[in-house]
Amino acid sequence: MSALLGVDIGGTFTDIVVVDDGGRATFGKLLTTPEDPAAAFVDGALDALARAGVAPADVTRVAHATTLATNVILERRGVPVAFVTTAGFRSLLTLGRASRTGDQRFDLFFDAEESPVPEDRCFEVPERLGPLGVVVEPLDETAAAAVVDRIAELGVASVAVCLLHAYANPVHERRLGELLEARLPGVPVVLSSEVWPELREHDRAATTVMSAYVGPVMAGYLDDLGRRLGAVGVRAPIHVMDSGGGVMSAALASRRAVRTIESGPAAGVVAAARTGARAGIGDVLSFDMGGTTAKAAVVRGGRPELTYDFRVGGSASGGGHGGGLPIKVPAVDLVEVGSGGGSIAWVDPAGTLRVGPRSAGADPGPACYGRGGTRPTVTDADLMLGYLDPAGVAGGSVLLHPDRSEAALQEHVAGPLGMSVLEAAAAVHDLANALMGDAVHIVTVQRGIDPRRFTLVALGGAGPMHAARIAERFAIDRVLVPVGTGVGSALGLLTTDVTTERSHALVAPLDALDPAAVAALLAEVERACLADLEVGTDDVVVERSVDARYRGQGHDLNVGAPSGEVNAAWLAAVGDAFHARYAERYGSATPRPVEVVAVRVRVRQPVPPADVTVTGGEGRPPSKRPAWFADAGGFVPTEVHHRDALAAGDCVSGPAIVQEPEATVVVPPSWSATVDIRGDLMLERARG
Amino acid sequence: MDELTAAVLSNALVLAAEEASIVVVRAAFSTFIVEGSDAAAAVLDAQGRLVAQSAATSLAHAYSLKASVASLLEDHPPATMVAGDVFVMNDSYRGGIHANDLVIFQPVFVDGEARWFAGTLIHVADLGGSSAGGMHATATDIFQEGVQLPPVRLTPELLKILALNSRSPDEMLGDVQALVAGTTAGCRRLDALIAEHGAELLAEGIEEHLDRTERLVRHELVTLADGTYRGGYVIDDDGIHDQSLDIAVTVTVAGDGATVDFTGTSPHVSAAINSSLSQTMSGAFYALRCFLDGSIPVNDGMFRPFDVRVPEGCLLNPRAPMPTGGRFIAVYAVVDAVLEALSQARPDRAVAASGILTPFTLASVESAPTPWLQMAFEFGGVGARRGKDGVDGTGMHFGLGRSMVPQVEPVELRCPLRIESVEVIDGSGGDGRWRGGRGTRTTYLLLDDAVATFRCDRHRNPPPGREGGQPGRPGGYFVIHAGGGPERLPDKAANVRLSAGDRFVIETSGGGGFGIQEGTTA
Repeated sequence: MSALLGVDIGGTFTDIVVVDDGGRATFGKLLTTPEDPAAAFVDGALDALARAGVAPADVTRVAHATTLATNVILERRGVPVAFVTTAGFRSLLTLGRASRTGDQRFDLFFDAEESPVPEDRCFEVPERLGPLGVVVEPLDETAAAAVVDRIAELGVASVAVCLLHAYANPVHERRLGELLEARLPGVPVVLSSEVWPELREHDRAATTVMSAYVGPVMAGYLDDLGRRLGAVGVRAPIHVMDSGGGVMSAALASRRAVRTIESGPAAGVVAAARTGARAGIGDVLSFDMGGTTAKAAVVRGGRPELTYDFRVGGSASGGGHGGGLPIKVPAVDLVEVGSGGGSIAWVDPAGTLRVGPRSAGADPGPACYGRGGTRPTVTDADLMLGYLDPAGVAGGSVLLHPDRSEAALQEHVAGPLGMSVLEAAAAVHDLANALMGDAVHIVTVQRGIDPRRFTLVALGGAGPMHAARIAERFAIDRVLVPVGTGVGSALGLLTTDVTTERSHALVAPLDALDPAAVAALLAEVERACLADLEVGTDDVVVERSVDARYRGQGHDLNVGAPSGEVNAAWLAAVGDAFHARYAERYGSATPRPVEVVAVRVRVRQPVPPADVTVTGGEGRPPSKRPAWFADAGGFVPTEVHHRDALAAGDCVSGPAIVQEPEATVVVPPSWSATVDIRGDLMLERARG
Repeated sequence: MDELTAAVLSNALVLAAEEASIVVVRAAFSTFIVEGSDAAAAVLDAQGRLVAQSAATSLAHAYSLKASVASLLEDHPPATMVAGDVFVMNDSYRGGIHANDLVIFQPVFVDGEARWFAGTLIHVADLGGSSAGGMHATATDIFQEGVQLPPVRLTPELLKILALNSRSPDEMLGDVQALVAGTTAGCRRLDALIAEHGAELLAEGIEEHLDRTERLVRHELVTLADGTYRGGYVIDDDGIHDQSLDIAVTVTVAGDGATVDFTGTSPHVSAAINSSLSQTMSGAFYALRCFLDGSIPVNDGMFRPFDVRVPEGCLLNPRAPMPTGGRFIAVYAVVDAVLEALSQARPDRAVAASGILTPFTLASVESAPTPWLQMAFEFGGVGARRGKDGVDGTGMHFGLGRSMVPQVEPVELRCPLRIESVEVIDGSGGDGRWRGGRGTRTTYLLLDDAVATFRCDRHRNPPPGREGGQPGRPGGYFVIHAGGGPERLPDKAANVRLSAGDRFVIETSGGGGFGIQEGTTA
């Protein structure tokens, strides 16, 4: 019997999924081991494989999402890097382009953004290209050799090179790369023209430096993981999730470590898309709730939206202007807000209830975990309201203590606000819903997308406990809770295609483009993509897109471009797609001339999806416990169903709770939940 | 009103302003505002109150939309507004800033009556006047600064007039379109809130939102020691007359309120550096906010505990027809003077003076076949803080960061310019126990003939240190003719002709130092 293994390492929990060739799934959830993440990976995998009755040698594919790259960047613990740029711009990274947002703008004591490369490891070489790649000043070989010598003396672990206008002509970067590699054998040299050949030197340099900074750490981790899995008998290839919704080989992931940023949340969005597709629904909103954050993303026509303006290390991770270092990688356009199960509730000096942004995290964790946490969290409120089973979360691996939740809520919320503990818990739960709902708001309403026609897909152990209420705010009537929602991202990994994406700058008015030149550029980028995947043109899906704007604008939009021959009709189709996209985002299109900024090619090698089916109908009978529903008059006796006892076609009317080892589903009054043929749970709201 | 509804409505109001700002910034054509540096969006009500302000745009406009909506309501009572109305204005003496900052208002109706407004503002590409891109550095009256607009309906006829008066009508019209797209987005969001909660609950939520903000500010003010604190700033000159000018402020903290009085400030001048009242208020409130909890929202409730007095006819509240296009110099002087005053009220939060914003415009000459325009700014060093060095090349500019400095490659692609270097000037931060942030030097090689317009301050009187710290190194504008050395240009000049092959150099000032450096004597 063969099987697939999916492992998602998050900040608090490591989630495991084993799916055998009969579609049977086995789930596992255990605490992450931050000092040695591979430890929980291997332990959890062996445990789940044993429970599934699958021999390690029968695993045919391992798909993995990791927070390693994100953590290395946030904690600044990458390898020592030297940076080389054009003469005159040695301070490019140390000056940086930090944006101050939100509260930081009033902070007179703000700090400079810490450069990943200290000033004494930044070098410049005399050379200059013009904007179209014309050589204005040739590379000074003597000066370059001297710089290479000085770098050799530093003993750095990798070198990043970003020269001005190298996106248009890599000639000087390549020559410098040759000189560095000859003098520094074994030290990786990363060129900006290879990593991200697009306009804007600071963004390109930051992305290049981060690749050099994280790459060796990622390579070391994946080598070690491969060895340890091999030692226990798992010899299948390891695929690593990228931020853009695909997976890549371990070898490619080592070279492109920055592309694994936000890989876990991206896997969640893929899972949501897949869940929708299984139910025949193309337009879904992914809502994924974790311990410290909640994530939301839009999926239309079964496809997650992508962004190319991702930032890490600011006040919030996501596309847009939230501060932090720009990492130019294709990323699923998700928004992550700092509210989750571990977010702490407090009362500000004006007497207003607040939730977050501080989180109790995994250590000490919510008060009810009994690990020393004394501040009330959203999880404590959920426990007091009767939504969570006191017998424990994460398959019973964490026991809960309601008395500690009560004490924490009394001291920090109920007391100061002069209300009962239950009222306080209800207020915390509702406010958390409002804050997490903001993530949904940002990806929909703020982008001009009407959320009402979407189905919300709830992921994460706590996601389905809050999802129906969040849906109500947006007048969404359907919430889909997939089988294995508590390990949803890990499951998503197994339905993810092997993917690569590359881009190239091409700045010109759309109506002045030479179709033959565009075709040649697209072919070159496509060839590089195929080389990434180490495959031929068979069995792959090639997708093209173009970044464009109205001539004169500073911001651009990415629009899909047709496959097939590049001719006048192709260019016209790109123009039409741009006007349509623009109208959708900004209200109306205008007859202005369109300017192209870059072309992109995405190549996918589809994998057979691991479709999971749960038959159910054999679990414990339902029980009852009191739970809080304001719209049912407060605390009411509530049926608690065990998910594995529900069979296809079963329908549960709210108020009710559906419990599974890794997750809890709350079905509020006026909602009902129906088990579909695959075992997914569809919550629907009765309008009336 | 229950806690949750209040919280949901507060968030929704701020998001409505935010959404309007995102649309306007991303759809704009003026490259000056691409990073949100000279833009604003807000929700206001029919009583002229600021309900919510976008958090992602410049705080230099925290008061601009509030001040402007007052004039709109004066000229157009809400009862006279009808569906489809969109209003535009820029009158500096009635809430506006300067000619190029266009303000757009769009009403939100409840039962046919205008109750709320979405407002947006950006610095548009060009609206006439005697210097391309606006902000003529040596204007002597407002008529040299571009077309003036009282609050009027934005009609197709008006757009024709504006287009005829612009050097780059296409981009200007694109900017107006972006402004309207922004207010439309804001109105749509408000309409949805009214549909969801009802107008009366929304109105109640707004009162609650403003009252809570006021309570938060008052709570913070109590933590400042009662007393009278004075601050000042000496402006080098106004660019026309060779004399320095004084900004004076007296902040009196009493209990949970404060008076901010600018009596003692020099009279207005027939030079560009006057600050319109809305800008003076924005500067004062920004600096005051820096001593309050940063999470307090910007709205009318935040303004209430303060009594700000600005004598009419002074540099900070000029009378017509004094020009206002170079106002940022006086506005930064306001910010710095208030920071200095409050540094005494909160010695633990004290800061030394920073290098101020250093803007410049390079533009094609009249005979150029393809007109081009590069408007940008550089930042000076941040003044040292108690316990901390200043930050290099970032300034203390309404919370703006270096993301506002353009990247080199797009500039070179758009204009016949080659940026040869962007360097940190070593040793430019004022010495002290804590060192001021360093200034920067940026060198542009002109590949074509051009005109340069620029204005800055603190080049003669560099950013002073605090408590014995040394001043920062003064910056300046320079030209280097082919084969020659750097020649210092005036600090405020308009339409300086430069030739292909010349280099235009912008040096920013270092920040002031803080405290006496160990091992030295005062």
